[in-house]
Amino acid sequence: MILIIAGATCREALRSRSFLGLLALYCLGIGLARVVGWISPASDDVTTNLVLSLQSIVGVLVAVATGTALVHTEIKQRTLYTVLSRPLARWRFVVGKYLGLAAALVVGQGVMLGLGLTWLGATGAPLHSALVVAGLLTALEVLVMAAVALCWTALTSPLLAAALGLATYALGHAVATLPGMLPYLQGWRMTVAAAGASLIPNLGRFAYRNDAVHQVPLPPAELASAIAYGLLWIALLVTITVAVYRKKQL
Amino acid sequence: MSLSAGSVSDGIPDRLLASPTRAGILSASMADVLAFTDVSFSYRGDWLNRIRSLDTVSFAVPAGAAYGFLGANGAGKSTSIKLTVGLLAGQRGEIRLFGQPVGDERLRARVGYLPEQPYFYENLQVHEYLAYLGKLSGLRGPALRTAVDRVSELLDLAELARRKLGSFSKGMRQRFGLAQAIIHQPDLLVLDEPFSGLDPLWRARFKEVMAAERKRGATLFFSTHILSDVEDLCDHYAVIDHGKVLEQGRLDTLIGAAPLALTARGARPEGAEDLGDGTWRLLFPDSERGARLAALTASGAEILRLERKHIALEDYFVARVRAFHAAGRPMEATP
Repeated sequence: MILIIAGATCREALRSRSFLGLLALYCLGIGLARVVGWISPASDDVTTNLVLSLQSIVGVLVAVATGTALVHTEIKQRTLYTVLSRPLARWRFVVGKYLGLAAALVVGQGVMLGLGLTWLGATGAPLHSALVVAGLLTALEVLVMAAVALCWTALTSPLLAAALGLATYALGHAVATLPGMLPYLQGWRMTVAAAGASLIPNLGRFAYRNDAVHQVPLPPAELASAIAYGLLWIALLVTITVAVYRKKQL
Repeated sequence: MSLSAGSVSDGIPDRLLASPTRAGILSASMADVLAFTDVSFSYRGDWLNRIRSLDTVSFAVPAGAAYGFLGANGAGKSTSIKLTVGLLAGQRGEIRLFGQPVGDERLRARVGYLPEQPYFYENLQVHEYLAYLGKLSGLRGPALRTAVDRVSELLDLAELARRKLGSFSKGMRQRFGLAQAIIHQPDLLVLDEPFSGLDPLWRARFKEVMAAERKRGATLFFSTHILSDVEDLCDHYAVIDHGKVLEQGRLDTLIGAAPLALTARGARPEGAEDLGDGTWRLLFPDSERGARLAALTASGAEILRLERKHIALEDYFVARVRAFHAAGRPMEATP
């Protein structure tokens, strides 16, 4: 049942105009990244960094936009009536919707990574396997952000959820700098800062882009840890969403 | 008068009629397919306010019946239906579906549901959407393909198989809505305002399809505020207003309660209406038929015609609801 829901959700998402529009935006962006690279001292590195960052930014925009609309639109437009009136538990519906969106996002990230690397290769920038690893970790970051958006929508309105989703993205990257700041904090302030940071996914764990450009290797254990960290956050956020929607009046 | 299932479904080719398999057999073994007992339900309003939608509603839909759920807009019809198909929960009282408490989602494998003004994913094509919903109802492989083809042809969707639902008109969406509701040959067909947005030809076709589903063994339960639909299709009815069931029962009992109208000429008895051409008409209940006829024959009156006066359900419904509003309380249910 979950896979059936996921399949339909993925098809619907991949055919939506906004999805294709953001892919077009990405194409425009990587074209401009080359122009920015030409006027920079380290031309190739800047271009490569911008192309990888665009994958993250466009991916997160897609994740937040579609994640906030995912279930809410179904409730508002009542498209879920013909689905939930079948022998289907609500938790399966929510998990299926997330997995379908995740599949569409993975396809989008794959297309963006492929286009980005092809463009970099065509313009003479050096290509290496670290760029692929960085792209894959970016895809995981986007999946975490989709779960964040989905969870915020369950708790509040879609517009506020989108704003909170983007705020979470900014805070998630800010949290990455916290370990360096903690020694400067004293007593309870350190405890509060550490506790607060633990409530937000540390998106810095997926930001391998800068190191990848400079071919700094990522130890396999660190890669595995980042993947496990991302999957745990996704599981937690989807579980919260399921708990909210389980009792929701439709 | 209600029409028989056979007479209405005659417009549908036999090859498109599903065989009366498990649906008829299972339904026939149970007394009531759906039963509400003292069900009350409130929606969450702003803050701590709650908006009461149903107030100790009780009714029962017998197996194999065609049950018309009548009520004005906002009467509580859709809320009752949403509770039945699991879209709402948290009611007080008891709802039993096929004899089981309604909370078990597995029961919904035997239910087909058409929402009021249905909306669908805009970017899915007709045939893949039907397959998707068929799969969710447990259909797989050749059975799924056969079911998709059958309902597509039944509701003239076969030529639109590759069209995306986003390009559909309201009437076309309604046709798709009925197709997805019957694709898995449900035992109970729950339809919320099924004739909304249909032209006269498609209203007739919908009635044929619904009658054919009933002939297969399905129980029909549908809401409407168009009373002629109930007269055409139903053998049971309930009237709901402001969250209360005002009355329920068999339609033939209601029709049978209509007085007899006797037209005659000759000595005019007290209470008879002069028709102006030397004839007169007298209304009296069916229970007085023997005594009245004997008395009139003895008085030398020439009886020209004896017929049952037609009750216009529309007038009856309006009168009952107005009486309810005037009394400020629900009326007693009829048997």
